[in-house]
Amino acid sequence: MQETVNDLNRELMLDANAVAGLFQDIFGVEMTAAPTECAHCGAEGEMGTLLAFTHGPGIVLRCPSCENVILRITQTPDAYYVDARGAVYLRLAR
Amino acid sequence: MADPFISRGFVGKRRGGAEKASRIPPGQYLTDDFPVLSAGPTPSLDLSRWTFQIEGLVKQPVSWTWEQFLKLPSQAFVVDISCVTKWTHLDMRWQGVSVDTLLERVDLDRRAAFVTAFSHEGYTTNLPVADILNGQAFVAYRYDDKPLAPEHGGPARLVVPHLYFWKSAKWVAGLRFMEQDQRGFWESAGYNNHGDPWKEERYSAW
Amino acid sequence: MRQPLDWQIATVKAIRPETAKVKTFTFSLPDWRAHRAGQHYDVRLTAEDGYQAQRSYSIASEPERRGEIDLTVERIEDGEVSAYMHDVLTVGDRVELRGPIGGYFVWDSELPDPLLLIAGGSGVVPLMSMIRHRAATGNMVATRLLYSSRTFDDIIYFDELEKLRGNGHGLDVFHTLTRGQPEGWKGYSRRIDDRMLKEVIKPLRMVPQVFICGPTLLVEGAANTLVRLGLPAAQIRTERFGPTGSGTGG
Repeated sequence: MQETVNDLNRELMLDANAVAGLFQDIFGVEMTAAPTECAHCGAEGEMGTLLAFTHGPGIVLRCPSCENVILRITQTPDAYYVDARGAVYLRLAR
Repeated sequence: MADPFISRGFVGKRRGGAEKASRIPPGQYLTDDFPVLSAGPTPSLDLSRWTFQIEGLVKQPVSWTWEQFLKLPSQAFVVDISCVTKWTHLDMRWQGVSVDTLLERVDLDRRAAFVTAFSHEGYTTNLPVADILNGQAFVAYRYDDKPLAPEHGGPARLVVPHLYFWKSAKWVAGLRFMEQDQRGFWESAGYNNHGDPWKEERYSAW
Repeated sequence: MRQPLDWQIATVKAIRPETAKVKTFTFSLPDWRAHRAGQHYDVRLTAEDGYQAQRSYSIASEPERRGEIDLTVERIEDGEVSAYMHDVLTVGDRVELRGPIGGYFVWDSELPDPLLLIAGGSGVVPLMSMIRHRAATGNMVATRLLYSSRTFDDIIYFDELEKLRGNGHGLDVFHTLTRGQPEGWKGYSRRIDDRMLKEVIKPLRMVPQVFICGPTLLVEGAANTLVRLGLPAAQIRTERFGPTGSGTGG
């Protein structure tokens, strides 16, 4: 197993399980088990596996394969902004 | 609206800083820390291939290698920094090259009203040109007497202290001068286009 | 399944120290609903001036315990919420909670696959919910826990794990201590690596369902190694905790 470079940023990185509550607020349903597809590299997987950067002005979820941005979410006092262009689709269970 | 539930004895990590209150913008709290905040993994940048470019509405684009950049006249800057996530850190000590110094070496087109600062890993942020002139912005490569750490934007980052810290692009790769304003990474996702902490310009108007 | 997720005011029923830096908080919930092992609750604190802080903590208890849940929380230096919980909260206090949340990193006792659970530090908490749920349902599916801690005193739930592994219901527990070992230590004494994983996985005769939880580097390392050893990636589920020990920080 390789020793990875000590990168504080990477240590602070979580996965989308950490924003499961936020997903539920925005989309109204549990999303971490929902499948999605990266618009950049085509990798498929559950939303729960997306790399999550949560320590900034907003939340950025990236593809675990190619690290491109799949979802960008910010919260202002009266709105959520969601940029899902990095995902081929979002699937909301009914 | 119903009264929110108050947690007994909870104050949070904010510190008073009453004696410095006049230097803390509205809605901010004082910290001695330098929190690491990022939208993505730290890029690993090879100094032998690092460049800083000035491009767009300039007569001739200019580019510096790391070695060339280090030879430019640099200064110490002691500035207060405010992040939109509410922390303010006073008297942060940086070393770097003033944007004025960089612009002495280019011929800015008269039409250049806006600038986009772009990073080595895709991040962008936009500013009016007037906000980066006259000592208001610099490219920093040292913080607190040490080379700027990668998780804080090293080897070099833009610093624009009079605006919220998201305008201070980490891992900065250059400045692109433009006629039209083009919203950057956070500006296009609900954050204010300008970002003045003293006017609490956190979010966009709509 | 659409389910409203509302904040409710829970009451601290009990506080139990697990290690020097870790405590388990038992909350009784007015609107308790049975969770799935691996899910978490969000905790929200509000100061008098309206300032709020929120963190997620994995549920440690089994869903069979009705009306209440255990959250096991590591106290993080400078951690806003964990420090409050450790230093200020007492039995009888009320706290805003929301949950249960999560649908990916969950295990239901009906699944037949053997289980491989890999934990780093407080990453053991959601896996403990799985182990307790398994015990409460009398499930005997082959289960192996590989648990990495810094020192012996940092192991959470040591006694309970010893008891469960000894009762012949198919649970094996492997500890590794990475920073120091007590005299006579018979477990592993290094960070999780290829050889260790191979040894732990070998006796499992069927492809297991794997759950890995802990700091990012441990989680990525173990997941990559298992894939390299031939495990299908689809069998592996991961949950990263920050260096701060919880799903969203201290």
